[in-house]
Amino acid sequence: MPAALKTKRPRTEQRTMEAASIPALSKPADHGHDHDHHGPPEAHNSSTVDRQTLGMLLFIISEIMVFGGFFTAYFFIRVVNGNPWPAPGQELPELIAGFNTLVLLSSSLTMHWALEAAKHGNRNAMKLGMIATLLLGSTFLAVQINEYWHLGYAPYDSAQASAFYGLTGLHGAHVFVGLTLLTFATIRVFKGHFTPEEHRGIEVPGIYWHFVDVMWIIVYVSLYLI
Amino acid sequence: MPVQLRQPGWYRAAAFTVLGLAFCLALTTGIRAAYGYDPLFDFDAIAIVSMIGTPLFFLVGLGAFDYWFYWAAGKPTRAEDHSSHGANSWKDYFKVNTDHKVIGIQYVCTTFFFMLIGGLLAMMVRAELATPGSQFVDGQDYNSLFSVHASLMIFLFVVPVFAGLANYVLPLMIGAPDMAFPRLNALSFWLLPIAGILMSISFFMPGGAFASGWTAYAPLSTTQPIGQMCFTIGVQFAGASSIATALNFLVTIITMRAPGMSFWRMPLLVWANFATSLLVVIATPFIAASQFFILLDVALGFNFFNATIGGERQGNVIMYQHVFWFYSHPAVYIMMLPGFGIVSEILSAKSRKPIFGYRMMAFSLLAIVLLGFTVWAHHMFVSGMQNWIRIPMMVTTAIIAVPTGIKIFSWLATLWKGVLHLDTPMLFSLGFLTMFTLGGISGVTLAIVPFDIYASDTYYIVAHIHYVLYGGSVFTIYAGVYYWFPKMTGRMYNEAMGKLHFWMTLIFFNLTFAPMHVVGMQGMPRRVADYAEQFAPWNLAISIASFGLGLSTLIFIYNMVNSWRNGPKAEANPHRALTIEWQVSSPPPIFNFDSIPTVVGGPYEYGVPGAVHAVFDAKKPEPVAVGAPAEAETAEVGADAGSPEDQETKD
Amino acid sequence: MKNPREVTRADVVRMVVIGTIASAVGIAIGLWIDWFPAHASTQIDSISAFYDFLIILSVPVFVLVTTIVLFSVIRFRMRPGEEEVDGPPTHGNTRLEVIWTAIPSVVVACLCVYAANVLSDIDQAQANQVKVTAWGQQFMWQFEYSGANGKRFLDDELYIECTPTGTQTGQGAPCKGPQVAFDIKAVDVIHSLWLPSMAMKQDAVPGITTHTKINPTRLGMYPVVCTELCGIGHGIMRSTVHVLTPAQYSAWLQKKSKAAAS
Repeated sequence: MPAALKTKRPRTEQRTMEAASIPALSKPADHGHDHDHHGPPEAHNSSTVDRQTLGMLLFIISEIMVFGGFFTAYFFIRVVNGNPWPAPGQELPELIAGFNTLVLLSSSLTMHWALEAAKHGNRNAMKLGMIATLLLGSTFLAVQINEYWHLGYAPYDSAQASAFYGLTGLHGAHVFVGLTLLTFATIRVFKGHFTPEEHRGIEVPGIYWHFVDVMWIIVYVSLYLI
Repeated sequence: MPVQLRQPGWYRAAAFTVLGLAFCLALTTGIRAAYGYDPLFDFDAIAIVSMIGTPLFFLVGLGAFDYWFYWAAGKPTRAEDHSSHGANSWKDYFKVNTDHKVIGIQYVCTTFFFMLIGGLLAMMVRAELATPGSQFVDGQDYNSLFSVHASLMIFLFVVPVFAGLANYVLPLMIGAPDMAFPRLNALSFWLLPIAGILMSISFFMPGGAFASGWTAYAPLSTTQPIGQMCFTIGVQFAGASSIATALNFLVTIITMRAPGMSFWRMPLLVWANFATSLLVVIATPFIAASQFFILLDVALGFNFFNATIGGERQGNVIMYQHVFWFYSHPAVYIMMLPGFGIVSEILSAKSRKPIFGYRMMAFSLLAIVLLGFTVWAHHMFVSGMQNWIRIPMMVTTAIIAVPTGIKIFSWLATLWKGVLHLDTPMLFSLGFLTMFTLGGISGVTLAIVPFDIYASDTYYIVAHIHYVLYGGSVFTIYAGVYYWFPKMTGRMYNEAMGKLHFWMTLIFFNLTFAPMHVVGMQGMPRRVADYAEQFAPWNLAISIASFGLGLSTLIFIYNMVNSWRNGPKAEANPHRALTIEWQVSSPPPIFNFDSIPTVVGGPYEYGVPGAVHAVFDAKKPEPVAVGAPAEAETAEVGADAGSPEDQETKD
Repeated sequence: MKNPREVTRADVVRMVVIGTIASAVGIAIGLWIDWFPAHASTQIDSISAFYDFLIILSVPVFVLVTTIVLFSVIRFRMRPGEEEVDGPPTHGNTRLEVIWTAIPSVVVACLCVYAANVLSDIDQAQANQVKVTAWGQQFMWQFEYSGANGKRFLDDELYIECTPTGTQTGQGAPCKGPQVAFDIKAVDVIHSLWLPSMAMKQDAVPGITTHTKINPTRLGMYPVVCTELCGIGHGIMRSTVHVLTPAQYSAWLQKKSKAAAS
């Protein structure tokens, strides 16, 4: 990578900090060995999972818990309080949302396709998959906003509406974040940055995208269907 | 454009802050204009949007996101040049620094700064309470004083100071050159002062600071002046910081342990932070959710906590408490488990004995994590929730006494027949043992429903919470800071002054908080600016003692500041401890190790002849070509932490 | 000189003796302190008895920990010349660990069973009940009674009826009265109704009605306080409960009913 050389900057660390290891533990030869750039030793890899994927999985646990908090609110308003669902006179468009569910689910498929293409080094399929995923995701978001627009009631009209807008809004925000990440990944796809060996840059946002999709199914089923 | 504004730093941060304020003003006004709201300029709306938006602009200006923007724009990966690593002068501590050691010190200093503010507020609370009636603040201001005191102490001191200490020592302990995601680590630190400043400046908001306690129960909190939003939004920043750090710890512990460092060879501090991080990752999102509800109710008129719209039961007020305590009960373990870890390190090294029952110590941590999620409603025995929840919650809460007891008894057994070096960290650990036992005992009494019905929301609770959080957590924090002070600063602290600090703290702590048990039982509710005449003598005594406690803190601060500047140089291993962080120089070299050590035994093999925990590779590290560090060879994304998923945590 | 690190049987005996004495003294002090402000209901009697049990249980635990810490500090502290000495490499003792897991578990189990009994005891509904609705609002209590003529009226102090069991009718005179069952409601934010002398406490929650009961056993006046932070005037949200003899109570009720009717 020539880029690595380009960004090299002169080091300014003080020698006192560098040579500070205990004499008994480092060979005398180390001292005075005046290499200009002394990077950190490579960390020992103590797990088969790589850091990025693990970090994303743990982050998803956190995200699930955020949704858990909102589902708790939904549960209390609907079940504990025994409010009718949806509130009288406030209809939920199951069919449009059902269509939207299909849109989002198919975006998971295209995402998977893009990742498979990356693994096989098929650049065109990778580009196509990413673009399709982006388009489907944006369609979902657009339909959702359109739904908000035409529902005819607002969060302040009832507690049920608050729970509905709260959960779908939270999910919408996640779709938006997912799309942002995928946009970054797509830019890099078009710049040809991913190889069959190294494609975590689309794999990891992909995991997030699948999570957003699965979460939508739960949101859809609990808000619209039951 | 002048160069200062192009480079990340404080000039750019200031410019971006102004830009952010302007943007938030324009955004709010624009939306209000589009919807035709009146008045067009609404201070509260602008303030809420600014509190959320401006900090992000500030962070961009400071440079917390520079690398990720670079990555997002699809630029070729550049190798980590370590230019933001290490600190050569005090100025480097005010930069976005990716060195876990610098971040650790940033954390500890920031948290102690907010601890002093919180302490000052506590002094004002006690001054107001010295005699009945109103002294110098009215009811609302009094409520603000203890609310901000509690919020700062919890979210800006106890929770993050442990993250700071662990940030410094944990990678060293497991033999890692840094945390798994150094840039995320830097971001999580910089979110913290934002939260602290938001909470502190709430005093200057129209209507005063937030005054609904650190619990911010709805619907009181949804009907408060705008200062309440400083808490609601501040907690989001502190929570995001907490979650990001916990993710970082978990990934670091799981993937970056040195060869030979199996889970059963990890020091208990690492175990404790592993357990804590699990709690944070799972529980903290709930407080985020609870504060989102408050924010949505206040800012956008949602009805989560509006119990009576249209005369019907619609919103649910108790839901707030369930969601809040589902975080905030585990939060007390988040504030205690790392302290358990610190004490385990110190008691073992200072007794010159292996920790007694190492595996049970680790298992009991995990047991506390598991049980910690099943007890939240013991804060709600009189809240009006369903009665049947009370008995199961009482049982699970009481059961937590068992793993906690295991830890206490194991520490006692560790002391037994050891060679006790009674210096300041050890004294604080022993103080912790006894004080925490008292707090634990009053905790068990409060778990018992009939007694809790009597004692909840009285000064008995105030006494209990300070026995566990001050006598428990803060004592371990002091112990930890003294213990690792030589490692972190390269200087020795003043032992005599440390001992003075300990004895003053112990004595005044007990004089302050022990009488609160009695006043509470006598019928004094908590969080009151005024109280019945009968409690006056007790309260005066408590106030006087509390000023002594405040004074003892100043001794500590003086000792730390002075020793850092003028203290004698510290040896690499003044405590003769076996764990890896003591096997490198004080302070450690900039990249921790020349080469990763190999772990060959347990961390506490004191008294075992010839036992070593870790050996350092005798062979010289590979000479590295100039400008081509190892990461440069890895493909596009780079093996270092500047990877895509760091970005998600921004949301 | 004998090695101070060696722990002889005599040392252990001495520790046990000192610990027992300290526990006894601690328990005696704990029981001697008058923790509760007054004992004006059967509920507070149950809870107070339970609290005594808790003291008897907790003091020895604290004494145990403190004794061992102090003994270790005195006997095992590092003496000059021992800077490099290490302790014995004891890694654990399965039997000990089982013991200190098992004993607390048993104690905790007993505690929970006893507590569940006390809870069902203080929650016991009696056939003969007087119903009072308590309204919490910023920053006062309002108690709603049904008057002699069936009209409902409000008062900002709590009046309950209790038949004296002796001849005295002054403050603190024993009595036995009908159970008072509270319906607790909130007007604005959460409040909490607490009668320290009668033990019971229950939040007043907007949107729902909560319940609690007391069985008064002493005549006189006792404080009523709000224990849930409710805003600027939380500290002064106090009231008084008057436990009256039936004669006093009906006189008060007549007066109030008349006032309500007019």
